[in-house]
Amino acid sequence: MAASPTVRSPLYYAWKRFLGNKASLVAGVFILLLAFAALCAPLITPASYEAQSFLNDALAFPSPTHWFGVDNVGRDLYSRIIYGTRVSLGIGLVSALASLLIGVPLGAIAGYSGGVADWIVLRLVELFSVIPPLLLAILAASLLGGGILNIILISSAFGWVGVARLVRGQVMTVRTKEYVQASRGMGALPRHLIMRHLVPNSVSPIIVGFVLAIPQAMMLEASLSFLGVGINPPTPSWGQMIADGLYYLFFYWHLPLFPTLFLALTVMATSIFGDGLRDALDPTLKGK
Amino acid sequence: MLGYILKRVVSLLVTFIVVSLIIFSLMRVIPGGPFDEDKMPLSPAAKAKIMAQYGLDKPPAIQYLRYMASALRFDFGIPYQSPGETVVQLLGRAWPPSLILGGLGMLIGTPLGMLLGIMAALRRNRPIDYFASGLSTLGMTVPVYVISLMLMLVFGVWLKWLPTSGWGTPVNWILPVTAYAVTPLAIFARYTRSAVLDTLNKPFVTVLYAKGLPFRLILFKHILRNAAIPMITVFFPVLIGITTGSIFVEQMFRVPGLGSYFVTSIQKRDYPLEMALILLLTLMVGVAYIITDLAYYFLNPRTRVKGTE
Repeated sequence: MAASPTVRSPLYYAWKRFLGNKASLVAGVFILLLAFAALCAPLITPASYEAQSFLNDALAFPSPTHWFGVDNVGRDLYSRIIYGTRVSLGIGLVSALASLLIGVPLGAIAGYSGGVADWIVLRLVELFSVIPPLLLAILAASLLGGGILNIILISSAFGWVGVARLVRGQVMTVRTKEYVQASRGMGALPRHLIMRHLVPNSVSPIIVGFVLAIPQAMMLEASLSFLGVGINPPTPSWGQMIADGLYYLFFYWHLPLFPTLFLALTVMATSIFGDGLRDALDPTLKGK
Repeated sequence: MLGYILKRVVSLLVTFIVVSLIIFSLMRVIPGGPFDEDKMPLSPAAKAKIMAQYGLDKPPAIQYLRYMASALRFDFGIPYQSPGETVVQLLGRAWPPSLILGGLGMLIGTPLGMLLGIMAALRRNRPIDYFASGLSTLGMTVPVYVISLMLMLVFGVWLKWLPTSGWGTPVNWILPVTAYAVTPLAIFARYTRSAVLDTLNKPFVTVLYAKGLPFRLILFKHILRNAAIPMITVFFPVLIGITTGSIFVEQMFRVPGLGSYFVTSIQKRDYPLEMALILLLTLMVGVAYIITDLAYYFLNPRTRVKGTE
């Protein structure tokens, strides 16, 4: 008899595939570094984000003492950017989690029961795609006022749509699979079908939906803060720092440059990481 | 077919009304009104007079019905932030710059993106493919104001080749149009690449090779035609991206377009203008939806069998 092949879990193969994707590996390392910086912000920055400790050096260009220079009111730009990481990553993570909490049940119900529930969820999704989300978000932010909590609320109100779409699609496909039909034929109750077959099979789209909701929320926060309706000063936000730095573009270009770089790199890294994760978890989706 | 179009138009109308209701109520729920002390120092009597003049003393339901009734006659009222003109006149003045810049960006970005996507698909895993995928990731993830800022820094501040603001001459257009073009370029490059790759491996393409058709013919007559279908879907996100992008691009490059009014009309509680802007946008997006579906119908006979899918 031939030796039985080693049985490995699907996660093992997913991990192997992920390691093979250099771009998303680099992106993942970058995100880890950022997360580390956000956690240890007080330890690795020379000043607090609101301390105007360097008034004499206001608008100074980058130097060994001030890595990214000093802003117009004497705050160390590097410190503000590192503390801004907390805001950006924090809002991204919490909003993505909240999007899951709304999107997964709605998508699962719509996909499983079809009919009226599906119709209602689809109309909701459609409504959110007809009005550009950014405009509604600006309205909502003016209504609620800015601030971290409200921004999280707003971005999860938009983030669930993508998650619900992914989960609905997955549940609908799995529901009609032969083994689920067989299970139903043997008298399994909906609760058993959902817990035993539908939810475990939806784990990868849920993870993907979660990771891809992060950069969306970060972008929304940055955009709202850029327009002045997002995070309120002095709490640092990259979007707000870009807008403030714009005034100094011609002579003190380091003020807008560094927050722009961090925002661009972070959003790109999270998206690349999410794409890599999707390809690793579900190779059939590759490139879609 | 006609019944299908009719059904879509009716559903667009329903969406339109729902959107207008949502926006109207959201605008009124936001605390503060257009003629509050912080915006205009007026005596209570003068304020009451202005409020009555604009019909703001009536109950909200009446205000809504009145607005929608006159909107049917293309009368969108008077913008509170610029009372010397009507909303329609303001649109006529501020829309052209937005349309020209956004339209040019779309016109330049779309074919370039498709070309890049085709080249990337034909030279898979070569430098051009990596370049295309890098560029499309950049364009699809990074917000448009980040791209604008980078363009301004490199070409305006460091190289001093191009002006970074203004609207007067076509030289002023170069940077904003480039910023606009990045979105369609990125999206079309990615989708064209994957659509062409999908089609390249179809059996019918192998048959075409086998019967000795020159590659150029296969590419233009068969592959691109089939690849065009999924690309129509992309039209939408691009349109929305360009329109909301105008809010940022126009602020960055100081273009006197429509973009800035989206934000200022909310901040100034300029109800008539905000309603007009959002209704206009919903109409545009809704009509684009229908056109997309019709394009599907004509380009892809397979959808005709299923009908309304």
